[in-house]
Amino acid sequence: MNGSWMIFIPVIAPFLAGFVLSQLRFEERRKREIYCTISVGVNTLLSLLMISLFRGEYVTLVRFTEKLSFSLRIDGFGAVFGTMVALLWFVTTIYAFEYMKHEGRENIFFSFFLMSYGVVMGIAFSANLMTLYIFYEMLTLFTFPLVIHAMGARDRHAGKLYLVYSMLGAALAFMGLIFVHQYGYSLDFTPGGVLNLELIGEKTELLQLIFVMTFFGFGVKAAVFPFWKWLPGASVAPTPVTALLHAVAVVKSGVFAVGRSIYFIFGSSFLAGTWAQDVTMLFAAITIVMGSAMALATPHFKRRLAYSTISNLSYILFAFTLMSPAGFVAGTLHMLAHAVIKITLFFCAGAVLYKTSREFIWQLDGMGRKMPIVFGCFTICSLGLMGVPPLAGFSSKWAIGVAAAACDSPMAIVGTAALIISALLTACYLFAVILRAYFPLNGFDYNSLAKVKDPNWLMTVPLVVLTGASLVLAAGMSPLSQWLATVAAGL
Amino acid sequence: MASGLLVIALFLPLFTGLTAGDMRKAGRTFRRYIVWLLSFEVLAVLALVIGGQGTVLPLLKVAGGLQLVLRVDAMGSLFAVVFSIIWLLVAVFGFEYMAHEGKSQRFYLFYICTLSALIGVCFAANMATLYMFFEMMALLTVPLIIHSGTEDSYMATLKYLGYSIFGAGLGLLGIFFLAPYGGIGSFVAGGNLDPALLAGHEELALAMYFVAIIGFGCKAGLLPLHAWLPTAHPVAPSPASAVLSGIITKAGVLAILRMTYFVFPAELLRGSWVQAALLILAICTVFTGSMLAYKEKLLKRRLAYSTVSQVSYVLFGIFLLHPVALLGALLQFIYHALAKNILFLSAGAIIMKTHHTTVDKFSGLGRRMPLMMGAFTVASLSLVGIPPCGGFVSKWYLCVGALDSATPLIGMVGMVVLMVSALLTAGYLLPLVIAAFFPGRDVEVKRDLLPESMSVPLVILALLVVCLGLGAGWLAQPLNAIVATLFA
Repeated sequence: MNGSWMIFIPVIAPFLAGFVLSQLRFEERRKREIYCTISVGVNTLLSLLMISLFRGEYVTLVRFTEKLSFSLRIDGFGAVFGTMVALLWFVTTIYAFEYMKHEGRENIFFSFFLMSYGVVMGIAFSANLMTLYIFYEMLTLFTFPLVIHAMGARDRHAGKLYLVYSMLGAALAFMGLIFVHQYGYSLDFTPGGVLNLELIGEKTELLQLIFVMTFFGFGVKAAVFPFWKWLPGASVAPTPVTALLHAVAVVKSGVFAVGRSIYFIFGSSFLAGTWAQDVTMLFAAITIVMGSAMALATPHFKRRLAYSTISNLSYILFAFTLMSPAGFVAGTLHMLAHAVIKITLFFCAGAVLYKTSREFIWQLDGMGRKMPIVFGCFTICSLGLMGVPPLAGFSSKWAIGVAAAACDSPMAIVGTAALIISALLTACYLFAVILRAYFPLNGFDYNSLAKVKDPNWLMTVPLVVLTGASLVLAAGMSPLSQWLATVAAGL
Repeated sequence: MASGLLVIALFLPLFTGLTAGDMRKAGRTFRRYIVWLLSFEVLAVLALVIGGQGTVLPLLKVAGGLQLVLRVDAMGSLFAVVFSIIWLLVAVFGFEYMAHEGKSQRFYLFYICTLSALIGVCFAANMATLYMFFEMMALLTVPLIIHSGTEDSYMATLKYLGYSIFGAGLGLLGIFFLAPYGGIGSFVAGGNLDPALLAGHEELALAMYFVAIIGFGCKAGLLPLHAWLPTAHPVAPSPASAVLSGIITKAGVLAILRMTYFVFPAELLRGSWVQAALLILAICTVFTGSMLAYKEKLLKRRLAYSTVSQVSYVLFGIFLLHPVALLGALLQFIYHALAKNILFLSAGAIIMKTHHTTVDKFSGLGRRMPLMMGAFTVASLSLVGIPPCGGFVSKWYLCVGALDSATPLIGMVGMVVLMVSALLTAGYLLPLVIAAFFPGRDVEVKRDLLPESMSVPLVILALLVVCLGLGAGWLAQPLNAIVATLFA
């Protein structure tokens, strides 16, 4: 179609907007807010427009060799991921205006925040493994300044960890890139995979090993065991970053890339039933339980949520490693459900932090009555994450469980058992917060919270909108899964 | 019309709870409002049960080819009627008690909303719907246990929550792995699993059935996940422990019933290792529960252990897969629900009047509060199984079924354990009754009657225990009709 080159706009425009912002140095907060709202808002609209208009168009910007090119194409999977990111980015921007007031250095923050937007849209729209890899590397670089934003010793340490782990992951993924280049028809994402089985011949074992390396390479961003350590550390970043990047954009880019390599590069039929599948499923299962257990053991509010993210990301990885269309659908559903829910939970933790500077769970006694909107949203989303039916987290977990039951590998039982154990732990670590907030022990003095109240609309509106979105998502799970099933039909 | 009734039956308690919980004062208006609306709820359930059999109400479609649907059937009706009537009576009893305990509105908010979840459990048309309401029930009862706000109640709540979620999770695991064989479809008397799909996977299916039963058995106090009962009951306010013990455990029973007779084909279970294992577990639970109750000095914890034991009578009858035993199980479900509520409410009355929580303070209570102690006596006799109280009939059928079942050896052992347990039950309940009525000469007792709103529900429950015991033959007819459909 004419004009399909325009899908580059939502990828490149944020870079320009971010660069301009860094040069303009707004003195007035209000002007910067308007500038950011417009840039992000327009870009979100453009992204959604591109997703609806140019589905399936293959657009090349630079061609290096016959197989290697820098190209974009929006397919079903990318459309889901792109829509999710675009919508959440806008909401987070609104939230960040208020929140960043107490963090300072907002100009530099919003510059990189804008640029990261472009990178993540690039990941969503990548047409081949090469492009995905380039954006994946860029993602590390552009989000690094956001992690170390406060510039304290803790932040720099966290930043260093983040950088080291990400580079390690990228290196592993690069190995995958080279081998796929060698043994595949092309690098383009193709449902069912691109491997040339004749060329591989006897070397299936080797290629399976390469898949496992790729899995862990991209899995670093998804915080899969044993590469999870950077994520809880990175929760020192300002809340909008932990909420959007470390619960949605960055970590889900890792998950997205894993999904791409399983279903669109290596091909589920090549991997299903092999040792590579068992190994990856096992590691996902380990991460599921470990993340939840660590969350329960962590008294720090935001870090507890970060561990919870680790666990939930591996739900998605586990679903993807089922190597079946049902697994793909289930994983994608959980990707969406977790994104909406976890970003809300982080926003709640951020709101508490912003209003009261309380960071730990034991400081939350009685807050439920003082911050009704924040904790109301927190409770609804917690129930969703725990998988209380009929909320969003239940539907996706149900889909994962049913998909796992249909999988022949004994690891499917291990993984499903891990899901159940994790559900128990999830209930414990979230209910510990809810019970404290709503049912303080006898003799609790509400006067100690006299000054605590809900934050202003810039923070509460995103919270309420997101909570509403999680309910809408729950109601729309059925048509959504049907549509995803058509996307998955070719896998 | 009938589906409208089903909507009312499902949502009326939720509405009542939310509006009543929002009232400023827990005074006369509050009480009247709750009594009227809950009475209306009972009527709605009765009307639905009589005139609306087979009504289907789809709620929501979920990912993974799953529908949340309600359907009124005979088995669910039985449970719904018992649940809603007892719920109303306990609510009435609770007014005075909770005025003493404080924070009435909060208590009634969650207490009444829980009934919605229970009605959902009763009328769920498939395992997923049942699981949904089961979880809701578990979560809605959490505030009831944490009510007093002490450190103990906080820890007990976490324990309850952990057991509930883990138990329901195991149930869900079972459901997941039965899904490929049709296990998530609508309930069908005689099992909804597709034998053609099941062929070759029987072992996995049996194992998953076992896992699911252990999971749902958590709510019913089945070993090894029974430990939440003795922790949660003593800390909860008495109306809450009464329904936790008498009703919530029965939701676990219903889930197990559904799994055993409506999902799994009985012929696959009969004679399998799973049946033997579950029967042995149930027998062990009956014995252990009674033994622990006998040793326990704290009244409410003694009653909690008693529940562990008594509910496993029901489970024993279910796992025998025999029509007569199942009839006994259903009768035992009804009698135990009534009797155990009486006992816990009496315990509450004693706590309110005397502030004593142990079993050695019963001396003279019979003269102090004769109606309450009378009801207590009737309930005790029923639990022990002395005619004409109901418990005798149910145990009779259980034993007959056990001897006639396909596993006579385990059945025989079970019968012996039932007898031993009856003896222990007598040992841990009757001394209290004796001390209450025959305190000896040197004890001075003054009359200290309970308010009517507390004694009347107790008397009604006690009358029900006696009447349904005397009229067991009449009661057995509709139950036999239900049982007959399952063994067609």
